[in-house]
Amino acid sequence: MKLKLASLTSGLALSLMSMLPANAADPVRFAMCLDLSKVYTFITPQIAQSARDYAELVNQKGGIEGHPVEIIVQDHGNEPQRGIECYEKLKREGVMVFDTLSTPVSRAVLPRIMKDGNILIQSLVGRGDAIDGTVFKWVFPIGPTYWGQAANDVEYIKQKSGGSLKGKKITFLYIDYPFGQEPIGILKTLAEKEGFDLQLVPYPLPGNDQASAWTQIRRNNPDWIISWSLSNMHVIASREMTRNGIPISKYIAVNWFNEVDIKNIGADAAKGLKRGTNVAGGSNQPLVQEILKEVYDKGKGNGDRKFTEDVYYNTGLAIYSIVFEGARLAIKKDGWPLTPEKLKNGFESLKNYDANGLMAPITVTPEDHGGGGKTRIEEWDGTKWVPQTDWIAGFPDEVWSVVKQQSADYAKSEANK
Amino acid sequence: MFFRQAGIFHINYAADRALFPIPADRWMVGTLLALAATAPLFMNTLYLSSYMLPWLVWTAGALGLNLVLGWAGQFHLGYAAVMGIGAYAAVHGVRHGIPWEIAVILGGLTASVIGIGFAFAALRVKGLYLALSTLALQFVMDWTISHVPAISGGTQATLQAPDIRLLGWPVTSDAGLYYVALVWCLLVTTFMLNLRRTALGRALVAVREKDYAAAVIGVNSFYYKLVAFATSSFIAGVTGAILVNTFYHAVTPEQFSVDVSIQALAMVIVGGLGSIIGSYFGAGFILLMPGAMNTFISWAAAQFGLSLGIETLAHLPQALYGALIIGFLLVEPLGLGKIYNNVRDYLLVWPFGYVKK
Repeated sequence: MKLKLASLTSGLALSLMSMLPANAADPVRFAMCLDLSKVYTFITPQIAQSARDYAELVNQKGGIEGHPVEIIVQDHGNEPQRGIECYEKLKREGVMVFDTLSTPVSRAVLPRIMKDGNILIQSLVGRGDAIDGTVFKWVFPIGPTYWGQAANDVEYIKQKSGGSLKGKKITFLYIDYPFGQEPIGILKTLAEKEGFDLQLVPYPLPGNDQASAWTQIRRNNPDWIISWSLSNMHVIASREMTRNGIPISKYIAVNWFNEVDIKNIGADAAKGLKRGTNVAGGSNQPLVQEILKEVYDKGKGNGDRKFTEDVYYNTGLAIYSIVFEGARLAIKKDGWPLTPEKLKNGFESLKNYDANGLMAPITVTPEDHGGGGKTRIEEWDGTKWVPQTDWIAGFPDEVWSVVKQQSADYAKSEANK
Repeated sequence: MFFRQAGIFHINYAADRALFPIPADRWMVGTLLALAATAPLFMNTLYLSSYMLPWLVWTAGALGLNLVLGWAGQFHLGYAAVMGIGAYAAVHGVRHGIPWEIAVILGGLTASVIGIGFAFAALRVKGLYLALSTLALQFVMDWTISHVPAISGGTQATLQAPDIRLLGWPVTSDAGLYYVALVWCLLVTTFMLNLRRTALGRALVAVREKDYAAAVIGVNSFYYKLVAFATSSFIAGVTGAILVNTFYHAVTPEQFSVDVSIQALAMVIVGGLGSIIGSYFGAGFILLMPGAMNTFISWAAAQFGLSLGIETLAHLPQALYGALIIGFLLVEPLGLGKIYNNVRDYLLVWPFGYVKK
């Protein structure tokens, strides 16, 4: 017993020792400091799985320009200080690209990223104004911002209503914390510009009780409902809609809506429900098919095969196909060894990249780190998602004016340091 | 043998009231202080900036909570909110051109004023009811911060913290920030050490043991509870401000959410109520153990050739960490500080253990 304890302690000591810095080796390394145990667990396993599967596929084909890909996954439990620890540790091991996939941690790591000049990937989380590449030089929130998504939803409604939103009633249903509050500003601006009637209906955390929100919505009887909720909150919303006699086809969900939620609502009951998304869902995508054939059929998958049908799997695949492509361009253009500066140039030369139709085409420029922010609206027809629009980016001027306003505030506070 | 008491004579009041009458304690404290002061010379920057620094700041925070929970015996479930008030006040202060030193004190005072205002209402009830009403403070603060853009810094709810300028000198290096944290932690520790032997400290302990018994012997329990809340809130406010300035560099509501309050509470309870060294242990345990467990499990898995899924690797440390908390509290309900004291008591008379019996 004593010996065991001694070996355990020495193990602990050793593992603490192993945090010492190491030289940057030959492989291209990407750090995923993820929340695998607390709040974001509804997406992180699928995203980590897809990233590692795709890395496996890339490595089978000889890596990125001859350099093998290594993905380091570590849990931070959605706690800012553990995210910072993960960043600080891996930074010293020579990793230059970081992904936290958590808004609190991304916000906590961002000041250090900006100071150290490393690459922060923060697709779909963190500060939305970070798509302004002139201010946030090192941050790449490739994908749509919540402002952009909301604007695209309004654009879709506009298309549906024959080009005019005059007199339309749109309800914005949201969970009452920063994630849900984010689109309010842009929606107000658009309501003024387009002349639709906007109703804001918040419901409190943790989102299990939306009864009063839906009573309000029933009273107002809106034409459309745009919903900023996460996974199971959509299921609760669907129940409230049935209870209040509101057709589910009026409901447009934010991108955080997956197959599990459909299953919980019931495939038939969800018929007509819409969601905005920046990736094409389903495992019939060419890239997913290739992974299934080359990785899973050979028994090298990094998780349960059934997760590959999840839209969040495709979301992860989209993020990492962009990241790997960016790194490939960086090596191709500026050569090995990589530096954050070269990676930045690589990312910024992504042009109309869509990973074989997996996602909205992405064009990153030094000004726009969001890659265009395109999404599309899909409708659930009982068995699959049917795209209702092309990849669209509505009201770019309004979206960018919000972005610029916010990023200018950040730039100002940085300048005053 | 190690903690020799031979030759210690209480011949005057000063010697009798010394903080560390036993030479071994003095040697230990001195060595630790010397190590802490020279840490930037021999410690690698990762340990310094990611483990030592947050540990010191959180220790100061835990000591502040220990004042109200361990000394005055009043529950406080909204401690993180009070830290948040201090952090926001200080950051706004610096952004409006107030010098950093004054802004930090201002943060402490703001936290103190709000803390005391809240305590006026909350202290009308006791025990678990008080715990719940302090929890309300947490939720009121969370709500206010996320609904008043002027406080939270707009829809992004992140406010960049300006760099520290100490008497006009910018402090940005890892070592510099570490020293700021160290000095604050030492200040709070010294205050708490001395609190034990002041009238205030004794009054607080009297209130903790039985507040109406304290009232009978002439201690105004309501007044002392308020003092405890005010002092602890001041420490919390300054600690929050220092945490943001030295570690996070940006202030967001999640850094001071209800989870963090529970963590702070856990630091004090695991460390030991009313124990100063316990606060050091508790903060270290709660703050650093999850990360250390994580590394340890990954290392062990690699060592024994186990290929665990990433989710198992994330959850296993949590389970082990939980088990450790339960284990320690089963062994010694009074916390890690008491375990340390047990060891010290044993060594006080070792090798003549029979002396104790």
